[in-house]
Amino acid sequence: MARGTGKPLHLTGVQLENWRNFAQVDVGLQRRVFLVGPNASGKSNFLDVFRFLHDVVAVGGGFQEAVRKRGGVSKLRSLSARRYPDVAVHVSIGNDETPTAWEYELRFTQDNRQRPIIKREWVARGGREIMCRPDDKDETDPERLTQTYLEQVNANQEFRDVADFLATVRYLHIVPQLVREPDRSVGRSNDPFGGDFLEQVARTSEKTQKARLRRISDALRVAVPQLKELELWRDPARGTPHLRGKYEHWRPQGAWQTEEQFSDGTLRLMGLLWAIMEKAGPLLLEEPELSLHSEIIRMLPQMFARVQRRTGRQIFISTHSSDLLQDEGIGLDEVLLFIPGEEGATVTSTITQKEIRDILQSGLSLAEAVIPKTRPQKATQLMLFGDI
Amino acid sequence: MREPPVILSAVEGIVDEVMVQKLIAEAGGSPGTVYGKNGKAFLRQKIQGFNNAARTWPWLVLVDLDNDAECAPQLCAQWVPVLASYMCFRVAVREVEAWLMADADSLASFLGVSRNRIPANPEQLDDPKTEMVNLARRSRCPAIRQDMVPREGSGRSVGPAYASRLIEYIQTSWHPEVAINRTESLRRSIKCLKQIIEKVSK
Repeated sequence: MARGTGKPLHLTGVQLENWRNFAQVDVGLQRRVFLVGPNASGKSNFLDVFRFLHDVVAVGGGFQEAVRKRGGVSKLRSLSARRYPDVAVHVSIGNDETPTAWEYELRFTQDNRQRPIIKREWVARGGREIMCRPDDKDETDPERLTQTYLEQVNANQEFRDVADFLATVRYLHIVPQLVREPDRSVGRSNDPFGGDFLEQVARTSEKTQKARLRRISDALRVAVPQLKELELWRDPARGTPHLRGKYEHWRPQGAWQTEEQFSDGTLRLMGLLWAIMEKAGPLLLEEPELSLHSEIIRMLPQMFARVQRRTGRQIFISTHSSDLLQDEGIGLDEVLLFIPGEEGATVTSTITQKEIRDILQSGLSLAEAVIPKTRPQKATQLMLFGDI
Repeated sequence: MREPPVILSAVEGIVDEVMVQKLIAEAGGSPGTVYGKNGKAFLRQKIQGFNNAARTWPWLVLVDLDNDAECAPQLCAQWVPVLASYMCFRVAVREVEAWLMADADSLASFLGVSRNRIPANPEQLDDPKTEMVNLARRSRCPAIRQDMVPREGSGRSVGPAYASRLIEYIQTSWHPEVAINRTESLRRSIKCLKQIIEKVSK
């Protein structure tokens, strides 16, 4: 975790230009961020900004690789970009006392050979600029503009905290099938889809691992009352790690089941609980409500809030769930509303929408105010599918 | 000994759910499925259905009086003019938070505030929820303040884990048998539940 300012840092704001399906975005970010919008409105593209910055600083990553992974500048650039064809990402990093402890901006385009080229790279600390490119050296050797200073340890000394912080960003979208069949993602570490989830659990020190699994099984009992115990178990023949749970049963000893037999919902909830217990950087969660019962989903926002109070970890949650948004403790400044439009999608914080504030004042829930806004405009057409 | 009768219930939200479960157990019943939990408007819309169901099975429906009516009997008359024989329709004056304040010692120690800050007559409060948040604001415990008090600029009236704190309090610390001494609406609710349970058990 980045040091320097006492309380753990989090992303406090983001500005984008021509990033994927957004022409322009400028929003503040709280410690908990809920992303709501219709399908294909850009929630994942928005989260990808932070994954991109992570890829720039990651081991084996870098600016060129981060762009290449995304199909090149032309894939990253918004289709509505015309006059100002640069792609720009600007993030603020700080805490509640100092929201802009750090600011980082990266503006880029591509050269004639379609290589990503930096147009501007800029860092400020406490509002004061400490680095700005292109600098003199870049003028004499334009090749340098194919790499960010952020990714180079020789060049980022003064703002190492920013690089360290961005390296802690983690994206998670557990696919139960991959957890059950880890062979499919062999060799990948930090697999966002949970392919190495069991490996991760196995890598944790035994004490922490046991403590976490105990807390997870306690929490899971709410959803799966038959589950009595949870432990890591290694297959003696192959040495591969497995999670196994003891289920209460008509037999007095109960019965052990491994992750292969766990339900999708149980596995997803386990992965989620494991991830939020880690004291680390921003956690990007894609639709955590999938395969969970609505009564469990309703509890997630409060659970996140209480875990965050202890770990300080920032959590981004993309969601379609009205159960989740019913929670009356969700701040209006914690909800970002994604609306697609002809000139790209727009992102606004619900706190700026008078209409929503008025609806809440009159006693309706946030879900009742927001979900209808995220309904695809021509949803009813889907019913006619068979006749086309 | 006979099994305690199962009582079904319908409530406004997740805190009320835990509240009715506690009350039913306190009155000697066994808490069954809890319906609703989708706000007051939903309950208002479905109340006739619940009342019909209560012709044959014991039901507890709990709503907050809020500022919808002058007094509980008035609200009751608006919602369910004719109560079914196993319907226990109860109104918290003015909100469930008032019931929670009525066990002042427990609340003071749960919130970490001094005992004399807890209102002596919680049923007289116009807005017990705001009062509860203000009490939490004075808590000696930073975790309570962070969970229950809304952040500045959040646009909400309660903090991010307000409901879960109240649920925790009801489950672990709140004593209805103490609280009934300071809130008439709670005392009557438990009395009504006991009568229904007795009626079913005959």
